[in-house]
Amino acid sequence: MTSLTHLQRLEAESIQIMREVVAEAENPVMLYSVGKDSAVMLHLARKAFAPGPPPFPLLHVDTRWKFRAMYEFRDKMAEDIGMDLLVHINPEGVEKDINPFTHGSAIHTDVMKTEGLKQALDKYGFDAAFGGARRDEEKSRAKERIFSFRSAQHRWDPKNQRPELWKLYNTRKNPKESIRVFPISNWTELDIWQYIHLQNIPIVPLYYSAERPVVERDGALIMVDDERMPLEPGEVPMMRKVRFRTLGCYPLTGAVESEADTLPAIIQEMLLTKTSERQGRVIDHDSAASMEKKKQEGYF
Amino acid sequence: MATKHLSPEVLNERRKQAVRLRLDGYTVAVASQQTGLSAPTVSAAWKAFREGGWAAVPVKPRGRLKGQANVLSADIQALLWQMLYQEPQDNLLHTMPGWGSADLAEWLNTYHAVELSQRAIEHWWEAEGLKHEPWRLNHFAKQRSQEGRWFRKSVLPRFAQLKDADQRWQGGVRRVAHPSGSIYQIYLHGSRGRLLMRCFKKPPEAKAYVAVFEALASLGAAALVFHGALFSASPEVTAWLDQQPSFWLVPVPADLVLDE
Repeated sequence: MTSLTHLQRLEAESIQIMREVVAEAENPVMLYSVGKDSAVMLHLARKAFAPGPPPFPLLHVDTRWKFRAMYEFRDKMAEDIGMDLLVHINPEGVEKDINPFTHGSAIHTDVMKTEGLKQALDKYGFDAAFGGARRDEEKSRAKERIFSFRSAQHRWDPKNQRPELWKLYNTRKNPKESIRVFPISNWTELDIWQYIHLQNIPIVPLYYSAERPVVERDGALIMVDDERMPLEPGEVPMMRKVRFRTLGCYPLTGAVESEADTLPAIIQEMLLTKTSERQGRVIDHDSAASMEKKKQEGYF
Repeated sequence: MATKHLSPEVLNERRKQAVRLRLDGYTVAVASQQTGLSAPTVSAAWKAFREGGWAAVPVKPRGRLKGQANVLSADIQALLWQMLYQEPQDNLLHTMPGWGSADLAEWLNTYHAVELSQRAIEHWWEAEGLKHEPWRLNHFAKQRSQEGRWFRKSVLPRFAQLKDADQRWQGGVRRVAHPSGSIYQIYLHGSRGRLLMRCFKKPPEAKAYVAVFEALASLGAAALVFHGALFSASPEVTAWLDQQPSFWLVPVPADLVLDE
């Protein structure tokens, strides 16, 4: 008997979780944020249900403030793989023109992401949603179970979580409850990069280092991705060689200076880094334990 | 050619060749004739090989090793930093877009009675990471690459309008990682690669760029190939550029690699 590598073990675990959800849930969906974790999750889903397409659609909760390269990549991927892609934008947020600059990151995230997600789940009646969160990203994600149950109001109760001993998952739901499922919860950022490299998974080019126009905001390098980005008086964006370790709304996502323009170089950089990729996310630093609060309110 | 006129790289290659010839059984005279080295040099290389193997054949690097130079005193370094953070026009002499080594040496001598050669200042720049090498733009003229196409389409027509090499500039802005923290540097290369610079503690603002461009424009018609800033996002800089009849800015696209 051949022993599995650690990546093969993680892959097998994720595929088992996905099949379990499809067997137990009535109307599952895969949340697709266009980032590297979503890319890996999508790849795993296609493997899990090959040769057919995965028996669920993709859902992108759009805030209108993602990087342009992400939109291009999302549309191309949806076309290439032939899966249904549902895009939901909170219409109330659009009406009020909610944006990270005038309303701040907390309100923007709450309205466009958390409320948008809840609206989309209710609208389509999804009872299980795959998400690409990982334990190593952030402490509140570390303690969340792989099968994370949400109330009818999509709230998470971190003090009332089901045990998952011996990787046995209890999928029984109370009426109107839903499940958020994290198939790659046990993966690390390094695992993700190694898997992307080994499986040759396409990812958004923003992950690779290139010269990009950036401005400094509170120590973070924010890319000027379009003309909507308001500049300080006299400010001139500088072209710097940067890449993104995580992707979200561009005004809220910090870049890191890097020379890593290939997957092996990114992996090498990962081996030396001592910070979480979410250091670059402004929304994680709104207040103490802000991610846990957001998750309790329904954020992914 | 006498050995002393050869570069260390060429000399070392020839010494190795001489040793290979000796190993093949050729005499010192033949090895000397074929390599162009003198007989004593061939013998010396052969002796070195017999005593220390291939590693012993190359000559020792000439001159003082990097980092072993006399270090400028802390006071002089502080003065130099102080100047680099200021506009050159505020202080002296000529209207210049940035500080050159000659200007700094002159200023130190005039105002602080410090004798410092241009070369010493340039060595200090190198040690502090401030020295930027000019791009060899003319090398792109015949290249069938993205860089070559850009050079022929965007740079060459501008440069062709300006016959005098002094009117053709290249420059940029960059962040220099320094033990004291981030330093933002606007650098300019004039004719024959002469380096001028200004330093900032924060990313330079539009008025700093405009001051540099104004100083350049005051010297006469000029074209500047510039890398490292997105001026199209700055209304101040674009408005200033629009008013200039004889100053042309050619931005370097982000995806071009000009450094060798």
